[in-house]
Amino acid sequence: MIPFQFVTAFLLICMGIYAFLYKRNLIKLILALDIIDSGIHLLLISLGYRLENGVLPTAPIYTGYETLKGTPMVGPIPQALVLTSIVIGVCVLALAMALTINAYRHYGSLDINKLRRLRG
Amino acid sequence: MNVLPFLIIVPLFGAFSMPLIKLISEKFRDIWAVIISAITLCVAADVFYTIWKTNQIIVYTLGDTTPLGKGVGFPIRIVWEVDLLGALIAVTIAFVSLLAIIYSLEYMKYDTGLDKYYTLILILELGMLGIVITGDIFNFYVFLEIMSIASYALVAFRNDTWEGIEAGIKYMFVGSLASSFILLGIALLYGQYGTLTMAYLSHYITREPTFVSKVALAFILGGLLFKSGAVPVHMWLADAHPAAPSSISAMLSGLVIKAGGVYAIARILFSIYGISLNIRTLGWIVIFFACLTLIVGNAMAVVQTDMKRLFAFSSVGQIGYILLGIGIGLAAYGTKVGQIALAGAIYHTVNHALMKALLFLVAGAVLHEVGTKNLNELSGLARKMPLTSFAFLVGAAAIIGLPPLNGFASKWLIYESSALYNPFLAAVAVLGTAFCTAAYIRVLFTFFGKESEKVKEARDPGKAMVIPMIILILAIIIMGLLPWQINDSIMLPTAKMLEESGKYVLAVLGG
Repeated sequence: MIPFQFVTAFLLICMGIYAFLYKRNLIKLILALDIIDSGIHLLLISLGYRLENGVLPTAPIYTGYETLKGTPMVGPIPQALVLTSIVIGVCVLALAMALTINAYRHYGSLDINKLRRLRG
Repeated sequence: MNVLPFLIIVPLFGAFSMPLIKLISEKFRDIWAVIISAITLCVAADVFYTIWKTNQIIVYTLGDTTPLGKGVGFPIRIVWEVDLLGALIAVTIAFVSLLAIIYSLEYMKYDTGLDKYYTLILILELGMLGIVITGDIFNFYVFLEIMSIASYALVAFRNDTWEGIEAGIKYMFVGSLASSFILLGIALLYGQYGTLTMAYLSHYITREPTFVSKVALAFILGGLLFKSGAVPVHMWLADAHPAAPSSISAMLSGLVIKAGGVYAIARILFSIYGISLNIRTLGWIVIFFACLTLIVGNAMAVVQTDMKRLFAFSSVGQIGYILLGIGIGLAAYGTKVGQIALAGAIYHTVNHALMKALLFLVAGAVLHEVGTKNLNELSGLARKMPLTSFAFLVGAAAIIGLPPLNGFASKWLIYESSALYNPFLAAVAVLGTAFCTAAYIRVLFTFFGKESEKVKEARDPGKAMVIPMIILILAIIIMGLLPWQINDSIMLPTAKMLEESGKYVLAVLGG
């Protein structure tokens, strides 16, 4: 059976792509991009999760290590990847917001259909 | 001493010391940007020379001497892996960036916030250099995003005009979606194989090419085709490249779509997937997109009235040639024809970076002096701006592929290999060139036509704008005089090195 995290991640990505294609408000488009990113992050982070003999895995940074000897740990690499990716996502988000504010100043609207002056 | 890390360290240091340097004096800030990019060029040239001389792939592990983990036989660290292709593109990137920065000394003189501009331009350079030297697929994604974010910001740099903002927003949404697809592909690859090192990934995929790895390839390839501006997803390029300041347009059209698009496609198809998939099908998929791109891009260029938009569409068309070379190189993998096609694609990548940079610099000079880029208002420019017009003449002749200039050799290699592989493809390529010629002849007639009102006051721009153009003209002519020598000594070994994915793997994993 496919783990439910993967299904959720897939649904999030699909939701994001739907919103990206059919919404016309700039802020909603930014949110759509963020939802796609969240879906991918969920997919990545659940790749590192593994259940061994029914024991819940612990985070690799957990310091009370001696008491938990023998319990499985979650994969550390996906967590590092997701952290990096979140930081990148924040950068894109901030830049997108800044550009949206500027667009509102020039066009007086947040409708992407109004941003159609470039033609050729 | 290994100079490779300085390829990243120098521009990074330069970029973030820029706000401090600005406090000393504005003049010194400009000189600082030039010095930093000049040092980067020296480092890139040194790396290229080392690899070319020894014909060995350089592997650099961050934080250790060997990429392998302690006591285990597989790489656990981030590695940088440079072969001849990466080094060649790195030299091109550093060279054109240096010229673009010199050019902006005068072109951007009247803009404010220039310390941010130079910071962003150095970060853009850094991101591209990172892409071409990395050997770790997530590291590749990080550099890709560094490059992309810097280029979104630079397209929208003049935020007092609606043009830049609109183009920036369109570019940003499309680019971010493409980046998300690439990240999804990388996540799928990691989930399947549990590694991020390209060489080790290639080792695994060769052993068991699963269905998931093909899905991941589809996502990554889709994202990269977006980023390289292939048809049918080229519309952002025609908006973003003309709206940026001209020095940035030169970098975007000359470098960004190469490093973040075509180079990455070649690297992923050849070095990671390589021989493990049905390579003929894969090649034909790339060829299909290449033919579409070639025809549509060049044909759309003919009907434009905006000079920079014309150049941008022409960039789409030229990307088509490069993709055609890569596609034939894949479809005819391992044969002489495939190698010629690949050499032609690599050659055209370098040539197009020079030619398109020159053309956008010319467009910038015209825009700077006359104040318009509408071709209907620019007739008779040649008498007022002789040097700029000469630069345009050289660039246009090179991009069409006239014999004494550098575009001829690379296009000839692509025509020759496509004619040998499948004559229909050669016909398509020649048809694309016909459209390309029509577009540039039109601009040429405008330049040499009757003098119009607008251009009465025009004259050649100042020294800082003329020098980069002259250097590019010289580079184009010199490369044009020695086409086959360059092909035999640089491009063919590069193509050979790219094809041998086994060596790429062994360089990291060891004998």
